[in-house]
Amino acid sequence: MPAELIKVTINGQEFETDKGARLIDVCREKGFAIPSFCYYADLALQASCRMCLVRIEKMPKLQTSCTITCTDGMIVTTESEEIEKAQRGMVEFLLANHPLDCPVCDRGGECELQEMVFDWGGLEERFTEKKNYAPEKFLSPIVANDPQRCILCKRCTRVCDEWMGEDAIEAGGRGSHTVIGTYGGWLNCSQCGNCIEVCPTGTLLDATYRHQTRPWELSRTISTCTFCSDGCQLSVGSRGGEVMRVVARDRYVNGLNGEFLCIKGRFAHPFVNHEERLRTPLIRYKKGGKLIPATWDEAIRYTAAKLRAVLDAHGGESVGVVGSPRLTNEANYALLKFAREVVGTNNYTATEAFSLVPFFENLGAPLATHKDIRHAKTILLIGGEPEELQPLTGRQIRQAVRNGGAKLVIINSVPIRLKHAASQFIQIRPGTEDAAVLALASKDDAGVAARKLNVEAGALEQVRQHLNDAQGDVIVMFGGELGAEAQSLLAQLSFTFGEKEGRRFLLHPLPLFNNSLGVHDLGLMGGALNPLEILDAAGAQLRAMYVAGSFLRTHLEGREDALSKLDFLVVQELFQTATTEHADVVFPAASFAEVDGTYTNNDGFVQRVRQSIPPIHQSKPDWMITAMLADALGTDFGFQMSSSAVFLELAKQIPAYEGLRYPLLKDESNPVQARHALVGQRDVSAQLVELRSLVEGIEETGETTTQTPPVGHELFKLGTLTSKVPQFHLLAAGNPEPESVLISPLYQITIDPALRDEAAVAGD
Amino acid sequence: MFIGAIGCEPLQLRRVNLENSRSIETYRKNGGYEALRKVLDRMSPDVVIGEVKKSALRGRGGAGFPTGMKWGFVPKDSPKPKYVVCNADESEPGTFKDRYLMERDPHMLIEGMLIAAYALGSKATYIYTRGEYRYLIEIMDRAIEEARAAGLAGDKILGTEFSCEIYTHTGAGAYICGEETALLNSLEGLRGHPRMKPPFPAVAGLYGCPTVVNNVETLTAVPDIIKMGGEAWQKLGTEKSGGTKVWSVSGHVNRPGVYELPMGYEDMEKFIMEDCGGIPNGRQLKAVIPGGSSVYIMPASDIVGKKVKMDYEGLVAAGSMVGSGGFIVMDDTVDIFESTKNLTEFYKHESCGWCTPCREGTDWLVKVFKRIARGEGRPDDAQLLLDIVDNIEGKSFCPLGDAASWPIQSAIKKFPEDFKRHLLPLTNGKESGKEGLPTI
Ligand SMILES: Cc1cc2nc3c(=O)[nH]c(=O)nc-3n(C[C@H](O)[C@H](O)[C@H](O)COP(=O)(O)O)c2cc1C
Ligand code: SF4
Ligand code: SF4
Ligand code: FES
Repeated sequence: MPAELIKVTINGQEFETDKGARLIDVCREKGFAIPSFCYYADLALQASCRMCLVRIEKMPKLQTSCTITCTDGMIVTTESEEIEKAQRGMVEFLLANHPLDCPVCDRGGECELQEMVFDWGGLEERFTEKKNYAPEKFLSPIVANDPQRCILCKRCTRVCDEWMGEDAIEAGGRGSHTVIGTYGGWLNCSQCGNCIEVCPTGTLLDATYRHQTRPWELSRTISTCTFCSDGCQLSVGSRGGEVMRVVARDRYVNGLNGEFLCIKGRFAHPFVNHEERLRTPLIRYKKGGKLIPATWDEAIRYTAAKLRAVLDAHGGESVGVVGSPRLTNEANYALLKFAREVVGTNNYTATEAFSLVPFFENLGAPLATHKDIRHAKTILLIGGEPEELQPLTGRQIRQAVRNGGAKLVIINSVPIRLKHAASQFIQIRPGTEDAAVLALASKDDAGVAARKLNVEAGALEQVRQHLNDAQGDVIVMFGGELGAEAQSLLAQLSFTFGEKEGRRFLLHPLPLFNNSLGVHDLGLMGGALNPLEILDAAGAQLRAMYVAGSFLRTHLEGREDALSKLDFLVVQELFQTATTEHADVVFPAASFAEVDGTYTNNDGFVQRVRQSIPPIHQSKPDWMITAMLADALGTDFGFQMSSSAVFLELAKQIPAYEGLRYPLLKDESNPVQARHALVGQRDVSAQLVELRSLVEGIEETGETTTQTPPVGHELFKLGTLTSKVPQFHLLAAGNPEPESVLISPLYQITIDPALRDEAAVAGD
Repeated sequence: MFIGAIGCEPLQLRRVNLENSRSIETYRKNGGYEALRKVLDRMSPDVVIGEVKKSALRGRGGAGFPTGMKWGFVPKDSPKPKYVVCNADESEPGTFKDRYLMERDPHMLIEGMLIAAYALGSKATYIYTRGEYRYLIEIMDRAIEEARAAGLAGDKILGTEFSCEIYTHTGAGAYICGEETALLNSLEGLRGHPRMKPPFPAVAGLYGCPTVVNNVETLTAVPDIIKMGGEAWQKLGTEKSGGTKVWSVSGHVNRPGVYELPMGYEDMEKFIMEDCGGIPNGRQLKAVIPGGSSVYIMPASDIVGKKVKMDYEGLVAAGSMVGSGGFIVMDDTVDIFESTKNLTEFYKHESCGWCTPCREGTDWLVKVFKRIARGEGRPDDAQLLLDIVDNIEGKSFCPLGDAASWPIQSAIKKFPEDFKRHLLPLTNGKESGKEGLPTI
């Protein structure tokens, strides 16, 4: 519905604009600068900084343009002596109790307050009284707080509440003694650091980074996060080959996530330069022997010879090739090409937590983008736990509910935190998610499904009704709990409910990894074996294996010695892992910060990963290692040491990526969606029959838990990468409150004695 | 202390001096709950609102907004519950009338609230008092229980279809929680700071529902308006300021107390010198702050011989405001610099901290005042104070910023000598040698 157009006059010029548009936005759009601190798009209005004052005819007093919506005939002045005096007066107030020591402030050089002062010049500061003092302190191992610099714009408290649904920080005290603080003195939240990000001043600080560099010393590279499937865009700040920090600040990067990141994206980067990174290729010349450093030439030659021997003795199908949803499309494409063209095997897969192949095979509706989620009118979430596993999706859901009035229906075996945003929460018996899909896909089966789910049949009917009656976008999301049949039926759900004017179904799978969609798109998940099967085949049908990355803990559970049964195992990794333990050759791979490439996120956006530092030690990009190995085995991949060449070939081979080129993927603010084939309406009756019998077989036992899982139970898990960050160890240990908040908890709480060094006092 | 009416029959204060004035028996024996009966028996909500409009009753909390009009803003067709909230925060310095109204005649407030609730279709009403008034909550709770026992509160009031609950709640000691939207936040259990307006409480107030917030005295006026009829009540006062007004008189008068005067009482000088017994110890009148601390201070020269009319229009014409009716009289022993410093410290202490100008401005003001008081005043400090205040006034989020500004503006303007005296810095007992007097 197009908005009504009205006329407003700004500084004597007449403009057309949408009725009800926010005045500050309109002025800025039309090129009139308006200073502001507290205004932040899509957050509740604050109107507290009083910077955005304008004069509106027929209104008494100056008005805050951030709170005014345009009406027809409005006459606005944004520049006048009176306005400038008022605005300068506000800055003078803000600086009154400010320590004015930008040279020692962490935010110096990228501080909005500092910029305001510098931009205007000649600012009068007549405050000669004693300043209020409050010490700098830690709010958590991740968040430090220097209250003297605070301008109380409360962006921080609003993002905490509105984006994160946590409401973990709030202002305490009152008047000029108001400080941003926590409830009870210690911050027990998901430690996303979004409060730090949106803080315009040096008040909330990244405790993992503060006082290490100045922002102008950093080279900044726009890249894609390497943790979950949401694919947040970020700016990697590096200096001298070291990644110093990751931010999503508007001034540096403008991706689908805005300034949002989660704890992993923002704070888990220290693995990149970690001392335990593999430095050189390693060869274990003898089974049971040690991994011994080797040159690249030697390692490639050795590996090629070993693989050649296996191929000659047992043929192509005796070699398994394993890609990874953590690696770039380029890396995985090179592996797939290696499997097909060099080895000649169908025994390839990727170390993915669960397969979405049945979903994509039956894809009946487009994938939802994060923007679609924000503006959706109905969201159905089956299984999954986005607030821990895909935090950006979690935020979009909350914003959709809070700011867009969306209806959220959650079907989960656990009362996850998002439940609080839901208009309907249906708690089901663990492991019965498939039955929920059955109930939605087939009304006649609702009775048996309800019994298995252990819910009232009426509750499911209500969900069906919701979906039936829905207007606008209906987004169906699901986690990894669904079996193949349920996935197929869900992918076809739009046909179950049929066409309806004004309603559109969109699908949003919730895989776990940064390039989960990529490994599906490339076809790596369509190999003859899945990760478990490939492990089971080790030593039997499979004699050698080539693994990029590592198997997941869940894969190796009960299969701990599978890899040791191989004649030859070659692994590319950043670190020593349970997988490299059995490797005969280990190649040091370059991390996301050291390579160029692309990841495909759960929106289907193909987004760029850009090299921000040179590869650490002797590491190399995964695709390059694969190409070198292929070359040694007699196949020239023709990549000419350039990832763009890999992508060019990939785009020619993979239909969904047809026509994509790096230059087209340049602008992170305008991401490009892969063209996933929509299959239209499929006959899924076979799957329905299968699902029905599966559901009938479900035992009606499983206990349901009433306990909402604690914040961070997934986010803070110590994985190969996150375990390289000391702060994560504290968080994983329950984020204990230290004795003194003035000293970094890292120096007060002993988990790893190696962390005990000299005390680092806040403010150092 | 005097409690009573001058120049009119006591309405608000009719029962305050009776024995057992708090009890429901005393109240009923003296005309109590007749208005409620009348309303329930014979008047539709619209007619009630109409009478209040005719009465020209203006809100007694400070802003003086026409009460009937405010009630008229509540959307009738809204499916949401509607609330009536009594603002008994009474934190304005110099104001203590609500306290006596509740302490001595709690049923009058209950009756007023029930009539308001009936007129607005509200089933739940709240009395919000300041934290220091906790003892009043006990009095109110007892009165509410009495009313309930008599079928005057709770379900099916007086046997009609009208049901209404009255709840009491105390704040935690913050002046800002007297501001209606901050009060609503506090009542909801949130941090006590004002909300953005619009939406006004009449449209989206308590829990986002239509809400009328009225001062105690506003609500206690309602039973008499109903009994007498709006027009008759209005005629007690002037055309635009209907009825009577209760003033809290304190400071340098021989007879401080709570005075009910007809609106438009003709002479402020007479009021001070005769009704309040004049200035003690043979001193001279120096200044009056007529409407609680947040209004302009009036020098004696603007009062004596000026026949200042005591109503909304009269006080504006005389350079001040009715405000909350906290009438503070100061004799010539008072140093207006000191009294203004004292008030500024109050506003600094009570600034909620939400918006920049009030939070930082009041802090700065107090620091300047304190420095001057230490004898470190500089010649241009008076101008600095005015400049700071100018950057607060009209730019703050809520009127507290203005309230902090006006006393200073008027004090420096009307009593320049009291400021100049402090701005001549002395070092080692000698004049500093700095040239020039404050530019005022
Ligand atoms: C800072 C501030 C403090 C206030 N304190 C009180 C108060 O203590 N009692 C009161 O009735 N109104 C107070 N008000 C006025 C209320 O906001 C509101 O106007 C009033 O309760 C409305 O009731 P009325 O229309 O009956 O006057 C205050 C306003 C401001 C801005
Ligand atoms: S800490 Fe930063 S974001 Fe939060 S209120 Fe202060 S200046 Fe604003
Ligand atoms: S003027 Fe601003 S800081 Fe002062 S009380 Fe109102 S909102 Fe709070
Ligand atoms: S941006 Fe409008 S008041 Fe802060």
